[in-house]
Amino acid sequence: MTAPTATQRRKAPSTPIGKAGTWVDERLSPATGLRKQLNKVFPDHWSFMMGEIALYSFIILLLSGTYLTFFFDSSMTEVQYDGSYTPLRGIEMTRAYASTLDISFDVRGGLIVRQIHHWAALLFVAAMIIHMFRVFFTGAYRKPREINWLIGLGLITMGLVEGFAGYSLPDDLLSGTGLRIAHAIMLSLPVIGTWVAFLIFGAEFPGTEILGRLYIVHVLLIPALLAALIGAHMALLIKQKHTQFAGPGRTEDTVQGERLYPLYAAKAGGFFFLVFGFVAALSGLVQINPIWLYGPYKPSQVSAGSQPDFYIGFLDGSTRLFPPWEIRLFEHTIPPLMWPTLVLPGILFTLAGAYPFIEAKMTKDKAHHNLLQRPRDAPVRTGLGAMAISFYMVLLLSGGNDLIAYAFDISLNAMTWAGRIGVFVLPPLAYLITYRICLGLQRHDREVLDHGLETGIIRRLPSGEFIEVHQPLGPVDDHGHSVLQYAGAPVPKKMNKLGQPGRTLRGFFSPVKEKAELQARMDAAIEAESHDPEPKALSSRVD
Amino acid sequence: MTQTQDPASAAVAARGPHATPHGHGGPDAPLTEADFAAMTTEEAMIAAAREDGVILIHRRQRFPVAGTKAEKRAELAVSACFLTGFLAVVAFVVCFVAVPFKYHLPGQGSQAFQYYTPILGACLAVALFAIGIGAVLWAKWLMPEEEAVQDRHDGAADPADSAAMIQTLLAGLEDTGLKRRSMLKVTLGLAGGALAAAPLVSLVGGMIKKPGDAMFTTLWSKNTPMVYDDGRRVSPDDIAPGGITTVFPGVEGGLLASDSPVLLIRLLPGQRVEARENQSGFGWGDYVAYSKICTHAGCPASLYERQTSRLLCPCHQSQFDVLKDAKPVFGPASRSLPKLPIDVETVDGKSYFVSRSDFTEAIGPGFWERP
Amino acid sequence: MTDEFDDDLDFSPAIERAAATSETARRTRVAASKRAATRPTGTAGSKAPKARGRWRRRLASSVILGAALVGSGLGYGLFSSASSADETASSADDIEAGRILFTTSCIACHGANLEGVKNRGPSLIGIGSAATYFQVSTGRMPAMRQEAQIPEKDPKFTDEESRQLAAYVQSNGGGNELPEGNLRDGDVAEGGELFRLNCASCHNFAGKGAPLSAGAYAPAINATDEQIYAVMLSGAQNMPTFSDNQLTPAQKRSIVSYIQSLKASNDPGGAAIGRAGPVPEGLVIFIVGIGGLMGVILWIGAKS
Repeated sequence: MTAPTATQRRKAPSTPIGKAGTWVDERLSPATGLRKQLNKVFPDHWSFMMGEIALYSFIILLLSGTYLTFFFDSSMTEVQYDGSYTPLRGIEMTRAYASTLDISFDVRGGLIVRQIHHWAALLFVAAMIIHMFRVFFTGAYRKPREINWLIGLGLITMGLVEGFAGYSLPDDLLSGTGLRIAHAIMLSLPVIGTWVAFLIFGAEFPGTEILGRLYIVHVLLIPALLAALIGAHMALLIKQKHTQFAGPGRTEDTVQGERLYPLYAAKAGGFFFLVFGFVAALSGLVQINPIWLYGPYKPSQVSAGSQPDFYIGFLDGSTRLFPPWEIRLFEHTIPPLMWPTLVLPGILFTLAGAYPFIEAKMTKDKAHHNLLQRPRDAPVRTGLGAMAISFYMVLLLSGGNDLIAYAFDISLNAMTWAGRIGVFVLPPLAYLITYRICLGLQRHDREVLDHGLETGIIRRLPSGEFIEVHQPLGPVDDHGHSVLQYAGAPVPKKMNKLGQPGRTLRGFFSPVKEKAELQARMDAAIEAESHDPEPKALSSRVD
Repeated sequence: MTQTQDPASAAVAARGPHATPHGHGGPDAPLTEADFAAMTTEEAMIAAAREDGVILIHRRQRFPVAGTKAEKRAELAVSACFLTGFLAVVAFVVCFVAVPFKYHLPGQGSQAFQYYTPILGACLAVALFAIGIGAVLWAKWLMPEEEAVQDRHDGAADPADSAAMIQTLLAGLEDTGLKRRSMLKVTLGLAGGALAAAPLVSLVGGMIKKPGDAMFTTLWSKNTPMVYDDGRRVSPDDIAPGGITTVFPGVEGGLLASDSPVLLIRLLPGQRVEARENQSGFGWGDYVAYSKICTHAGCPASLYERQTSRLLCPCHQSQFDVLKDAKPVFGPASRSLPKLPIDVETVDGKSYFVSRSDFTEAIGPGFWERP
Repeated sequence: MTDEFDDDLDFSPAIERAAATSETARRTRVAASKRAATRPTGTAGSKAPKARGRWRRRLASSVILGAALVGSGLGYGLFSSASSADETASSADDIEAGRILFTTSCIACHGANLEGVKNRGPSLIGIGSAATYFQVSTGRMPAMRQEAQIPEKDPKFTDEESRQLAAYVQSNGGGNELPEGNLRDGDVAEGGELFRLNCASCHNFAGKGAPLSAGAYAPAINATDEQIYAVMLSGAQNMPTFSDNQLTPAQKRSIVSYIQSLKASNDPGGAAIGRAGPVPEGLVIFIVGIGGLMGVILWIGAKS
């Protein structure tokens, strides 16, 4: 380490960047607060990046959605199509559908932006769902993060509504069918159903108002809510700092990882481009929502296999499976449609929202948790999560059961019955199996901690007995058992995870050969480092 | 947090009594500008991080020895990524402008449009991937690796702080006198509540519509002519046995009305409909007519199987047996499809279908007011 | 099973009906067209300029159709035995060739005189050449076994043999005839509208097929112009019949034009992933999108 010379000391800044910095600092004085944020430490584990996918998809949605508003017209006025797509020329349709066709066929590059918007929407919800599972299975929602769990649920709910509103806007045959079902769901509300439907649609279905209303909901109301909720979600994350997995040196009171600036920012920034790259690749190479094939919406028409986008699929599935149980009281009707489309999601979301509080109450756990649990270390929770996933999957698959029936030559009625039975049988099975797997994994971890790793070396003892040599992970007691305690941290299971030489940069085609003099200095540096009793955290470059 | 782990302390300690670093909340005075001026950039950064309770427990240059081939290679690779990104964006712009994108049916013009969107997507994806990979490699290969530990400082605030806060709040409440002056409290509550309700009232008030009997009526009435979607009238001679067609009321707006599409079915010879109560005689000859709108969720239930005489709804797979007067036999629908009473009138010696009246019950999905 | 067959193909009275209705049908259509063209209300009135063009076209096609029906349908229907002599010289040979094919391959189930065999196959008298050609040329006939739905398979007979069989069946009791000439001269847009109203509910918006109740299904449409036209005319198994009065020949040709141009058309937005709607899209976003990005985060998160 060389002593600082006069040139390294900071004077009044002379570079343009330095001057600009001073200019801002003198007016806004962001120095302290900003530096604290730049120095914020983020733990790095691959599973912590799922929420980022959702955040980046949201940004892509805002960008592509703004573009689309320049061309889309939500009017329901009937016009005659006169655009480039010949198979629809001369057909009567709403302005909404015609303008979506124009975006797809007559705006240069419009189709790819439409497809980016739609793929990003699917990715947004899908990423939120897997992020939620990550948070659930690691127990990240426990005190003090229950509020963020609830905000996250709000985000998913809003995401579903936002997605459905967007799916409805083009007014094609598929989305019109979806809207008609949504109308029927509103009608199914007891007492107020008809009034709610007339209030929202402004007339008997479909009326002339609904698309304009959905449009403003889709581009202003819910995006603003989503942005506010995302802001709150992030603010709480920054305030409470990220959770981390247990491991050597990890404690409840500290967070260990990389600082925001520059390492984490570079990786996260790069990740944004990678997410966008995936969306762009899908949008260019895989066609989504080809509304020109569906045709304009007419109440008398329908296509086989009319499905919502995947995130509404579980509700479509529950609706297909629900038996025709209608309640008639005193000349009034409660239609069967209400239960699987309003009551069921109500129960599911309430349960999910209440879960952190129920778990804390059941386990009498009032402690502060910053260290995550591995799924195997909380077998009951993991089992319940597997139960929820299997329940959801049965509903989701039932939402596409007609396509499955057709593709695999199964009777449609049999598919419905399989779903009806599966929705009750599979979740408990999933619970039991998952619970056993968790215990098994725990047991194996404890075994390795006790006896060490299997080395694959077989030795024959003088008595003739064959044993496998085990490599203990740490110091052992008199009986040859490890003194390491089980702590819910990952345990190495293979020899090469123990003390292998560090990374060497190899050439792509041929090994990198350094000049002899440089190689000698590098070897010396490595040698010096390995003999240093206190490894140097600060290692300036040797110039 | 042990100080011995931190090599910066040694470096800073050498520079004067004021420069002693300290852990967060430590006894030492904060570093002054002069202290920072005496350090290298890296030392200053580490000292500042300590002020924020961040301790770098590990920090190492990826290439401790400058000028190695390995380092040059790494830099070259990252630069190559960014250059690829630049070239792909240029390609995107060129293709955006140059590739023809107008749609044509096969045989009616250039089919190049089918490559337009994929090319744009591929260029954009390559550009974004390259930039993203470049940024991540930059961080992984060239920036110093580090491991930092930060104090969380979470949990409840300092008990003294909490106490002071609560007292401040209570004192403010005391000053307003809300506790004693109950009239203030009540009137303020009234005013606030009313004000909050006003926007809701005006929104709902503006949007609300009286359903009236709209849910119970359709465009069919006495002697409404039955027409195809192209406006032709429907005659009993038209449809072959085992045939089905969608018909509409031949009145203004009949084609687009959501409650009026009707399925007219001609049964195969030998098939006979078991009429529901009060619905016998609604058909004509071997013709029957049912609302096309599913009684479950409102999709057109129009998948007709002439051998099994079932109508299937494609949305949720409710199945209706026409021979049982469109009674639901499978799936989530709970009510039969409403039956339209039909008759035949003769115009210029030619017979055409008409409706005898509107449906005798509400069509489509169920709702509260429906008996 | 066999009862269904009988229901399915028992169209013996069709010959009289075809003869009786073709003339009245023509008059009806012309009258209806005139009425609709002048009526100010309803759908015809609301689509002013385009609709008038369409009506003119329809009027013209109706007249042509009427003439054609009078000329061929009526004549053929009433004097089916005589009509074979009017056609090309090979026609009689075709019927004879068809008879030979019938006696070698079909007779076991459909009987020596096409009267059908109980529990094996229905009567073919009066089903016409359209139904015969569709069933044989798509490989559905001869059937392998009795089952819920007889599947499409590689045809056993060549196209020529199928036509010969069709001619033979047509010569025995008449029925709906296989169409001739260019079937793709229809209006694609109108065909699309009719397809979505009449066909898409079972066959899906892109003709990709879909399941029906209890193991039956509406197959994907992989058929020639003639087969599509023929099956609309005759129906098949669970598929309803669409008579010429219901869907006019011009409309049928429009539907054929739409289906075939749709099938041949290229997708502007990349891979079509089956043209089957949101289900494959959901699969793609989870397998490619989420799956791929999991790979990316594992790479970014990996310690060096």
